Amino acid sequence: MLDSLSGTSIAIVFAVAAIVTLVATPTIGRVTKAHGIIGRDVHKLSKVELPEMCGLAILLGLTTGVALSILFFPDAGKEAVAFIGTVLIAGAIGFVDDLHPLGARIKPVLTAGAALPILLLRTYDPIPIVPLLGPVRLTVVYPLLIPIAIAVTSNAVNMMDVMNGAMAGTVSVICGATTVIMLASGRPELAALSIGLLGALLAFYYFNRFPAKVLGGDTGSLAVGSALAALAILGQVETAMIVALIPHIMNAFYGLASVGRLYERREIRQRPVRLLEDGRLEASAERNAPITLTRLILASGPLTEKEIVRGMILLTLVSSVLSVLTFWVTAVGRI
Amino acid sequence: MKKLIPLAAIEIFVWGILLLSTLIISKIAFLINLGGETLIGRIATEAIRVVVSGAVVLVWLLIWKKITDSYFWRTVAR
Repeated sequence: MLDSLSGTSIAIVFAVAAIVTLVATPTIGRVTKAHGIIGRDVHKLSKVELPEMCGLAILLGLTTGVALSILFFPDAGKEAVAFIGTVLIAGAIGFVDDLHPLGARIKPVLTAGAALPILLLRTYDPIPIVPLLGPVRLTVVYPLLIPIAIAVTSNAVNMMDVMNGAMAGTVSVICGATTVIMLASGRPELAALSIGLLGALLAFYYFNRFPAKVLGGDTGSLAVGSALAALAILGQVETAMIVALIPHIMNAFYGLASVGRLYERREIRQRPVRLLEDGRLEASAERNAPITLTRLILASGPLTEKEIVRGMILLTLVSSVLSVLTFWVTAVGRI
Repeated sequence: MKKLIPLAAIEIFVWGILLLSTLIISKIAFLINLGGETLIGRIATEAIRVVVSGAVVLVWLLIWKKITDSYFWRTVAR
């Protein structure tokens, strides 16, 4: 069970990551706006312009939280360094992408490189534990799968960042489930990393929820996605993370499957949804438009942006409960 | 939020299929052994296991896509 010292440390990591992000977000927003780094909120009738790239605040809050976790759990310092190294590399790729948009093919290749800290520090166990199957020895293949996992997860989370609060809200729910799983598996040092991410995301959600005051940009979404993949690898909870990410996979995979190739949102001619005159959104009936999660939620009729994001968060809540169940099935298998 | 029930049901179904897939992988892919404790033997065995598991995962994704497509187009047509 969790001792009181570990419990207090985890609570401090959460609070500090949240406070740093709360303070940093509006400040970064002012700076990016002053430098003309702005994005258009396309799902509003007013098409308001908002400060872009404010996901930097998530990175700042998370980095501070991770630094504290290294102080509290020095034995797991290597894991924490690998985790934050991965997140910072993915964040840097997002930063470049926000300033000079990268191609749809080059982005996954670059984000795969964010796996380097995990590979170089060897903070992985090449024997993943699979539900109903138990430990599986993949000594040779597992390290090759790590860059793919980082690229897929970071880009899937990036593709979910389409509406106010969608990325931060859904990933916050996943972080909650991941923290529970890490605590249940007796890994408070990894729970500290997960809850640090949760703290940073909840603070960012405060500014990014409908109607958003700031946008996270790829800096935030690629970093957050890579953080989830890194947590899954470090904690050996790969299958539980896949289950938690079902809505994100649904969004990314069906988008890709219906378009037939890797794509950037700006390349899509047939938009999956259209904005109605009353401000609600409606699913496009065009055959060629990608079937995204937003379009699936809108299949039965128009909704407001706020209702759609609430739907995404509820669906992630369902998948997160299933991920905890998956962990439980896996743990039973391990016994 | 009644509109979300079919999508939540798809999630639960997909989760069930995922667990079933791991069972199938355990009964097929992980029984494959190309023999020997040599490096080449281990690489070949792991590669074959990953390929077979990948095929099962692909089937899982295709089932998922079929169900979602069917739900979407039927609902939009109403």
